[in-house]
Amino acid sequence: MMKEHAITLEINGVNHQINVASNQTLLELLRNQLLMPETKYGCGTGECGACTVLIDGDKAINACLTLAATLNGRSITTVAGLENNGELHPVQQAFIDEAAIQCGFCTPGMVMKSVSLLAANSNPTEQEIREGLEGNICRCTGYAKIVNAVQVASKNMVQYAGGEGGS
Amino acid sequence: MKDNKTANNGYKTVGKNETRVDVKCKVTGRAVYAADVQLPGMLYGYILRCFEHAHARVTKLDLSQAAKVPGVVKVLGPQDVTQKLYNASVIDLMASEDMGEILGDIEDQRIFTDHVRHYGDAIGAIIATSEAAAERAADKVIAEYEPLPVYLNATAAGAADAFQFDDRKPGNLAFELPEPVFPDNCHGWGDVDKAFAEADLIVEDNFYVNKQKQCQMEPNSYVALYDDQDRLQCWSSSQMPKLVQSKLAKLFDLPMSQMQLHQTVVGGGFGARLGMVLEPETCALAMAVPGRPVKVQSPREEDWLTSPSRHPGDYWMKIGFKKSGEPVALDAKFANYKGAYYLDGSGVAYTTGTWVAALYKWGNLRYRGEAYYTNQPVSGAYRGYGNPQSNFVMEQLIDRACHQLGLDPLEWRKTWHKDIGDEGWTRGVNYDSCALTECLQRGAEAIQWKQKRSQYALQKGTKRRGVGVAAVVHTSGAMPMLLEHTVVTVRLNEDASASVMLACSDMGQGAHTTLRQIAAEVLDFPLRDIYLATGDSDTAGYDIGAHASRTLYVGGNAIAQACEDVRRQLFERAAKVLDTAPEQLLMADKLIAVKDDPQRVISVEQICQQGTCNFVNPETGQPVGERGQIQGYSSYYPNHNSPPFAATFVDLEVDTETGEIKLHELVNSYDIGRAINPAVVEGQLDGGTQQGLGMALTEELYFDDKGIVQNNSFTDYKMLGASDMPKITNILVENPDPHGPFGAKSVGEAGLVSPVGAVANAIYNALGIQFTEAPITPEKVLAAVEEYGLSE
Amino acid sequence: MSSRVLTEFDLLFPHSLSEAWKILNQHGDRVTTIAGGTDTLVAMKAGYNTPYAMSLSRLPDLDYLTFDPEEGLRVGARATIAQLLDSSVVKECYPALWQAAKVFATPQLKNVATVLGNMLRASPAGDCSCAIYALGGKVLLKSESGQRRVNVDDFWTGYSQTARQPNELAVELQLSPPATNRLSAFKRLTRVNEDLAKLNIAVSLTMDGDTCTDLRLVMGCVGPTLLRLHKTEDQLRGKVLDKHALQAAIATVAEEITPIDDKRSTGAYRRKVAGVYLKRTIEQALECSEQ
Repeated sequence: MMKEHAITLEINGVNHQINVASNQTLLELLRNQLLMPETKYGCGTGECGACTVLIDGDKAINACLTLAATLNGRSITTVAGLENNGELHPVQQAFIDEAAIQCGFCTPGMVMKSVSLLAANSNPTEQEIREGLEGNICRCTGYAKIVNAVQVASKNMVQYAGGEGGS
Repeated sequence: MKDNKTANNGYKTVGKNETRVDVKCKVTGRAVYAADVQLPGMLYGYILRCFEHAHARVTKLDLSQAAKVPGVVKVLGPQDVTQKLYNASVIDLMASEDMGEILGDIEDQRIFTDHVRHYGDAIGAIIATSEAAAERAADKVIAEYEPLPVYLNATAAGAADAFQFDDRKPGNLAFELPEPVFPDNCHGWGDVDKAFAEADLIVEDNFYVNKQKQCQMEPNSYVALYDDQDRLQCWSSSQMPKLVQSKLAKLFDLPMSQMQLHQTVVGGGFGARLGMVLEPETCALAMAVPGRPVKVQSPREEDWLTSPSRHPGDYWMKIGFKKSGEPVALDAKFANYKGAYYLDGSGVAYTTGTWVAALYKWGNLRYRGEAYYTNQPVSGAYRGYGNPQSNFVMEQLIDRACHQLGLDPLEWRKTWHKDIGDEGWTRGVNYDSCALTECLQRGAEAIQWKQKRSQYALQKGTKRRGVGVAAVVHTSGAMPMLLEHTVVTVRLNEDASASVMLACSDMGQGAHTTLRQIAAEVLDFPLRDIYLATGDSDTAGYDIGAHASRTLYVGGNAIAQACEDVRRQLFERAAKVLDTAPEQLLMADKLIAVKDDPQRVISVEQICQQGTCNFVNPETGQPVGERGQIQGYSSYYPNHNSPPFAATFVDLEVDTETGEIKLHELVNSYDIGRAINPAVVEGQLDGGTQQGLGMALTEELYFDDKGIVQNNSFTDYKMLGASDMPKITNILVENPDPHGPFGAKSVGEAGLVSPVGAVANAIYNALGIQFTEAPITPEKVLAAVEEYGLSE
Repeated sequence: MSSRVLTEFDLLFPHSLSEAWKILNQHGDRVTTIAGGTDTLVAMKAGYNTPYAMSLSRLPDLDYLTFDPEEGLRVGARATIAQLLDSSVVKECYPALWQAAKVFATPQLKNVATVLGNMLRASPAGDCSCAIYALGGKVLLKSESGQRRVNVDDFWTGYSQTARQPNELAVELQLSPPATNRLSAFKRLTRVNEDLAKLNIAVSLTMDGDTCTDLRLVMGCVGPTLLRLHKTEDQLRGKVLDKHALQAAIATVAEEITPIDDKRSTGAYRRKVAGVYLKRTIEQALECSEQ
């Protein structure tokens, strides 16, 4: 029998006390144990980005390559944690407005990656966006409208936050 | 985002970038894909596959140790499930049985096999209480094999002494164009040999086109349950829910009333789901544990092995021109590598030639299409269905001929493309619309064709720019080759809102949104009053599924017809109440009034109330209005297939010291007829471009000499990523087609096709060298530059 | 096993170095040390079996990136590739490493994968390792019985093999101190942008005006380990690195590498482009100095 580990993990602002197996990935914990299906299995090897979540605020990581037991005391955000009182996050709204969603399977990961990208760089160039989106594969959109959505979101978030140079 | 790029012509919703119906649940992560389905008591199925050989007999399959692993509920070998033969494709259901016989369509697949015919073929399964337990048990399975000779191309498979895959297919020739319909097994017209003899210029070459994989982002997952009413339920992201329902029912000896297909949100298809993938296996597992749902989640690495890929193969073509450029003859043969099973064997082998026949005014044409069994995962439907292969070959040979005759390839295409009145890809169906000349002109301006062609002709140095063009014609639905049919029922609720029941699939291309727009436009109801009820085989009528770029075109016309039926019924009832003739009535804002006397009016809601729940006057006891719930119905067969045309232009740079290719810019210029939702159309062109560029430059599934797949992972199956894509400009040319809904033609597939030829031709322009093997990698480019040198 | 299910193992969490050494001594080759764990988990999904895995995630103080102009850059065992990218010191003083970090893997993997982990993986295609080798430095290995510093030049001993002994932990990489007259750069060739390298090169040049007085040239993907191009170094040492000198070096590069055919490219192709890419990497290093 594999060792089990008791961990405390904050997910989307809610604290969880859970027992996880040694070899349980964060993806497996989210989908199978906690029944939170919004984070997707796309490849399991850290290449497609469908399982992208944020750790400690705004760092994008692959849930499929993260051992849950190593996350004691940490904080995770999934796409389900972006909405604020029923209002979509500006990145989510931009994806809708810019028609950046087709089959939608890459969308949760792509949205989380975009949030992470904009947290680190609030006014990225197109090239920076394209480079930042690597590690998230989309087979439907050719990335064109996704890039537009991130550009639109970056402008909207500046307004959202009260403009440049605000405190 | 701009709202209307197009004229919109006074339509209320057609032509507008309406927000898609499915995007909120997708962007919040709440959309339910098959893997997200959770049912009480669910078990997990793991399919055992042969990863040791590409061709072998299973001489021993010992599941006894596996059965003892804790958590295992059942172990299944070939004898433990139905042994019925089937064909996972559903295209055979779209042609008459007689036609199927003439074509030689066969059923040659079993759920679990004891004759492994490709790397990853399924030999059994484990059902357990967890995936981990199932995989642990899989490790304990003892399988022994007797290896058989491996065939990886048409020549080897077709050799006289080759192992025969199927007694019904001697010479491993799974398909060739059948004599009764195609004299001498050829498609075409005229006398090519005579025409070649009289041609001023002949160019010919042998090409190899690659095994490309759809790589849709949703891996293959299914849930099945044989429930307490003895009904088999299956949750699947199939593109073809009604036909899969039909096949599954037949496979498990059930009437269709005892088989329910729940179509979950489709995470991409592109043809990979044009038929059954793992529904048979999952359902077989469910039948083995009645009352318990079984979920099968196939790991990504198995996707390259289990769902069909593009047809690779050996493609020979010879074309003859007069000095003027007149294309007098085309002779071609495509011997495709079908892979391990027949599937839709009579499909791509045929259509590859039809696309060639459809685009330019070849005076004489002969095309031979063959499919050979090989020990590779099956080839089947992939966006374009033979057109990308033809584009790679024909567009290049045309540019080669133009170069030798000193003709501008753009002008040649403008002069010699087929046009209104010419025969399309299917016999007897002529073009009633064609905007290719305008597409070529506008695209050429956008990419600055003339300036760049003259500029690049003078270049020197190690970095070489090139600009290339390719055209395409595709189809909107596949009549009359396939029996196109879609059934729609539009039911008006008591409050005059509408439920539209149909099986048409949205696999991300936006069909449910655009179909709803069409319904709203025809009914003249607000969008909000219309709901498309899809995804449930119990309620949807017949539909042959999302393929052949048919959903908007056929589904749209079907919906329009059903909505017209609703309007007719509404007007008839209103006419009775208002004591006039239906022709005297006008409907606006869901009020039906007499044209010349608008005070005489009845609301649609009143009519619906009277039809359902308010049909008796409480005071008099007399009937009020007309009783009967209003349902519009259409059983629609298109009378045309309105092929869309397009042109793609590519500007790129080749680094001749390393063979690397840098894409600068790409322009798609598309004959859409009418863009029901322009953003949806652009999305199809953007996505198609990414896949077409991948086919031309980076993507291929490859094997070692024993047929073991080498690159079934994103690590080594490389697609263009966000930072590899060039700037794309999409020009939508709206020239309404007389047959399409509001003049619309399809866009689902063609967007992948013309980028293929355009990239190849841009490389040709840059280097003066043509590449006859796709994908065109830096290794091949560098070797060719060294061998042939560069013009100075 | 598959990409959906990991092999089974016990995960151990030492809270101090001495606990870590105890685990290494007790389990020997039956324990795999993981820092970021990204490489290891992928290997496990492909069937790699290890009864024990030891996570460094609860060891304090190993995630540092500290710079001292005399001592150089110290990279702790748990410092990530992303930390390199976020560091202006790395960007200015160790451009080859910064350029390698820029193209390494994906943003998600950069946030988790560690610099030392990448070195310990000892792949002949390691991007950051290639840059580190060119820049030079030492790896600090600690065991229960003491510690030793191994020169980067001696660290990679064979295909996927390093100088680390099973009872040792690699706790720090110390990159040599920078100098104003030392330039560096990194380039690589891939199939698409996000990819494992077909070929990668890192150069570190010590300049006296236009003359290169000393240099370290490292090429990856052309042998069982990352390769120092000694012959090419000898040919260019003491020379002005103009077009002619670099052009002449191209043939020498081809002579001293042993590339093979693999999934990403062919030996023949690599041999053809290696020299050209070395030339371009050197030109890139020289260009950066002009800014």
